[in-house]
Amino acid sequence: MSDGCRIEELAAQWLVRSEQPDWSPEQDAELRQWLDQSYSHKAAFWRLEHGWRKADRLAALGNGGSISANRVPASVNWRRAAIAASVALTIALVPTYFLTTREFNDAGSGQKPEQQFSTALGARKIVALADGSKVELNTATIGRAMVNDRRREFWLDRGEAYFDIVHDAARPFVIYAGPRTVTVLGTKFTVRRDGERVTVSVIQGRVKVDLGPAQPGGPSTTIGVGDTALAEGNSTIVASRSLEQVERAMSWRRGMLTFDNATLSDAAAEFNRYNARKIEILDQHAAETRIGGTFAANNVDAFARLLREAYGVKVEVDPGAVKISAQDVTVPR
Amino acid sequence: MVEDEALSAWFCDAILSREASLMRFIRRNWRDSAEADDLRQEIYEKVLIGARRELPRNAGHYLFAVARNHLINRAKRAQIVSFDLVADMSAMTAGPDLHSTERHVSARDELRRAQAGLELLPPRCREVVRLRKVEGLSTRETAQRLGVGIDTVEKQLTLGIRAMTDFMLGGSGKVHRWTPIGKAMSGAGNDE
Repeated sequence: MSDGCRIEELAAQWLVRSEQPDWSPEQDAELRQWLDQSYSHKAAFWRLEHGWRKADRLAALGNGGSISANRVPASVNWRRAAIAASVALTIALVPTYFLTTREFNDAGSGQKPEQQFSTALGARKIVALADGSKVELNTATIGRAMVNDRRREFWLDRGEAYFDIVHDAARPFVIYAGPRTVTVLGTKFTVRRDGERVTVSVIQGRVKVDLGPAQPGGPSTTIGVGDTALAEGNSTIVASRSLEQVERAMSWRRGMLTFDNATLSDAAAEFNRYNARKIEILDQHAAETRIGGTFAANNVDAFARLLREAYGVKVEVDPGAVKISAQDVTVPR
Repeated sequence: MVEDEALSAWFCDAILSREASLMRFIRRNWRDSAEADDLRQEIYEKVLIGARRELPRNAGHYLFAVARNHLINRAKRAQIVSFDLVADMSAMTAGPDLHSTERHVSARDELRRAQAGLELLPPRCREVVRLRKVEGLSTRETAQRLGVGIDTVEKQLTLGIRAMTDFMLGGSGKVHRWTPIGKAMSGAGNDE
C-alpha cells in the first residue's frame, strides 16, 4: 500500500502513545525527531492530532451521573459545562452535515444513559436495573448496563455477577462477556470472566451462550438448570451438574467459598480473588493437596489455620502474604 | 522561518478546515479515486513546505493553487496527461468551494458529528475509541478492561484515530488499512 497511508498509520501510532500516562521525555524527543524528518510526517501527525481532538466532544456522552456508583471524572463534567455554554452562545447554526433521523431520535428521545457499576476487592453489591432485574456483583467486578424501551444489555468487563432477570420475551437480555455473548429472556444464572475464559452457570430457566458480536451466526450453546458452560477461545464445554452443586458454586453470594475436592492451588486462587493478602503456595506437593469445605471468603486466617490443623501443611503468615508449603519437604519418602 | 507551533496552528485552522472541499476537488479532477488520500497527503506536505517561510495571506487560494499544480505535475509524470484535464483544472483556480462554511460548525454539531462517526466504526474499534474518549482510559487500562492484549488495543485505536479524523474533517469515516503486499488482494477495500 501507499507511502501516504503508511505515514498516516505511523503518525496515528505516535499519537496513541503520546497520550499514554507513561509517555516520557525520551519518547517525546523521538517523536520530535520523527516529525523533523519530513513535512509529510508533520502534515500527517498534525492532521490526526487536530481531527482526534475534535472527537473530544464525545466525552459529553459520559453517563448522566444518576447512579451512585458512577465515577465521572471532574474533567468530563467540566467539558460538559463548556459545551453547554458554547451551545448557548451559538447564535447561528450552520447545518453543514447531513444528519439521519435516527441520530436525532437517539439524541432527543430521552434515552437512558449507560449505567456503570463496580466493586472493590472483597466487596459485593446488588444493583437494580430499570426493568426490575437485579444484578449482584461479586468481588473486583466492573459492569455496565443499558436498559431502555428497546434493549436490555449488560457488559461484564471484569469479574463475576449473579443475574436475576425479569422475563420479557420482547426484549431479550444480552450480556457481553469478552469473547462470549449470553442471551436470556428471564432466568437466574451467574456469569464469570477470567480474562478470555467465561463460565456461565444456570439455576433457573435457559440461557444461550454464543460467540460474541465479532462472529454473528457462529455456533451457540443453550444450557439449562444445573448446567455450567465453560467457554474459552472457540470452544464451549458444558458440564451437567446437580442444582445443588451449581448453587454451591454461587455460595459467594453469602460471602462463602465452597470447595469440593479442589486442589489447594485452585482454592488459593479463589481466596486471592477476594483478599489483598494473597495466599502463596510454595511447593508442588502442597499445591496438589485436595481439600473440601466451606469457608468465609474474607477470612484468610481461618482458612490458613484450618489447613495447618487438618492437613498438616506449614503456614507462614506475614502482613503481605500467607505462605503455604508441605510440612517438612526434606523428609525422604 | 515560521515556528512549528504557528505553522501547525495555521495548518489546522486554515487548511484542514477546507479538507472536504479539497477532497471534492481531487475526486473531480483525478480519475482514480483510490489515490485521493495519497494525493491529499502529498498536497499537504507541499502546502507546509511552501508556507514555512511565510504564511500565505489567502489560505484558500493558496491551498487550491498547490493542489492544482500537484495534480498537473502528477499527471504529467504519469504520462496520462490529457489537455482537457489540465484545462479543466486551470479553470478551477477560484470556485465556490474556496469560501466554504465548514469552519463555523458549532460545538453541538461537532458532538453530533463525532457521535455519528463513532457509530460508523467497526464494533471492536468503536468500543476502544469509546473507552478512550468517553471514559478516558489509557491503552493499558483498556486492554485490562476488555481482556485483550495491549497491541490489539493500539491497533484498533490507530484505526479509530484515522477514521474519526477523516470523518470529523468531512470525509466518509472509512480508512484504508495498511496491508502487506502479499495479502493485499482482499485488503484493498475499505475496512470491514
